[in-house]
Amino acid sequence: MEKVFDSHSCIEAGILDNALVMITVLGEKGEVIAWNHAAETITGHSRKEVIDSNTIWKELYPDREYRARITGKISDILKTNNYFENLETTIRTRSGESRIILWNTKTILVDGRKRAIAVGLDVTGEREAKTFRESVIDNAYVLITVIGPQGSILVWNKAAEMITGYTPAEVIGRRDIWKKIYPDTDYRRTVTQKISRIIAERNYFENLETTIVTKTGERRILSWNTRQIGSAGVFHEIAIGRDITEQRMAEESLVAYMTEMTMRLSQPVGIVSTTLLETAELVKAGLLTSEEMVTVLQAQARNTAQIAENIREFQTAIVEKNGSIPEAYRKFLEG
Amino acid sequence: MPDVINQQELEQKKIFLILASPATIRERNIEIIREISTLGYHTVVITTNFPYSVLSKLYAQKGVSLDRVSFIDAVTRNSIGTAENIPRVVRYINNPANLTDMGIAVTEVLKEYSGEKVCIMYDSVSTMLIYLSSANISKFIHFVTNKLRLMDISGIFLAVEKGLDPMLMMQLTTFVDTVVDTG
Repeated sequence: MEKVFDSHSCIEAGILDNALVMITVLGEKGEVIAWNHAAETITGHSRKEVIDSNTIWKELYPDREYRARITGKISDILKTNNYFENLETTIRTRSGESRIILWNTKTILVDGRKRAIAVGLDVTGEREAKTFRESVIDNAYVLITVIGPQGSILVWNKAAEMITGYTPAEVIGRRDIWKKIYPDTDYRRTVTQKISRIIAERNYFENLETTIVTKTGERRILSWNTRQIGSAGVFHEIAIGRDITEQRMAEESLVAYMTEMTMRLSQPVGIVSTTLLETAELVKAGLLTSEEMVTVLQAQARNTAQIAENIREFQTAIVEKNGSIPEAYRKFLEG
Repeated sequence: MPDVINQQELEQKKIFLILASPATIRERNIEIIREISTLGYHTVVITTNFPYSVLSKLYAQKGVSLDRVSFIDAVTRNSIGTAENIPRVVRYINNPANLTDMGIAVTEVLKEYSGEKVCIMYDSVSTMLIYLSSANISKFIHFVTNKLRLMDISGIFLAVEKGLDPMLMMQLTTFVDTVVDTG
């Protein structure tokens, strides 16, 4: 015989079934009284399988230890409240997949009997995205920090810890990290003034280079980029700092090497040239024996051969030391 | 032209760095030898560019008494292979890049003139740059200047004036007492 619904119960059934969240009504022993379509979709367990039984919870939480922990937590909450809010649990679906559900419940009385309405929101995608974002931030090879409106640090990633030596626990929620990494008052003031000036002009800065002092007292050069993020009048600064210490050192050593080699080429070339001219004068004046002439010329030939060798070494070193040399120049230098 | 080397400073066994242009460095060399010979000094010239035989002719031509000059020659053997040392006149080393041999030669030659008014002249830092890095040259000059100070002997280093690496220049300036830029 077909069950007959009044219009009110039809509306209720419609809401229950078409809701995009899991809705289940539980009896006093945890037996399922109602199990909507979303609950079926999310868990993979049909209404027919779960109604009038409380075995579904063992299916959803197959790990005994985890189940006991969740049960304990729920019991604790229900000791003081007849509801709980935003309790996050991880269920196992029929297909063996894990889903993260955010639960809200309320206990009501129906015909003098206690009933719990549990609403479960599947936040798996959201949590995964959040975890992914956090993982990207945490595993980025650059220092990432987010500064709140009051100047306190909200995010301090692994690279920030690695570069500065200060852990998130020492930094998050505080504002004194800048004093630690810029311990010199004058330098800190200069950096602050520079930042304030740039921020006043355009709300962000790009490639601002500063030298920080790490927890171990080491100096590192960082190139900073910032952006303002936020909405509804609440803004945060996201600051990204790239450690360019090694790059700067490589550039400096390349410049030093180029200066050295320029000197080692230009100075001797001047000397060789003058020596040959002087020798020519001595030959003209008939002052040199042929043996002396040979000695001088051979000496200068050796010098020029060595200068040519130095030029080759210079070319090789430049190509090897600086990966950023444009391809055309590199080919030219490689000969 | 005024004296390149200040007599008083020479008497005080000071160490000099003399800067000159490539075109005038030889001229300065000869002028200095003449000046200090006149003051009764014997000069040991370490030559890394002109061989002893040619340099001695140039000195003689300019009226420098060769009795007051001896040489450590880093050119001849490197060019023609063999050459015999002549006591108190010339000592040859095989290669201008061999700083160990050069250091030994300097030490031994200076011992020969122990107790005499002697001065050492190094011609030139610039030629050494063909064979050695500025770091090695700097170490060698540091070694020589230390030895000179210990032995209470004056020393003169010649270099081409322009284009010396600022770092090397700074180090040389630290090692010597007086820098004279002769232009």
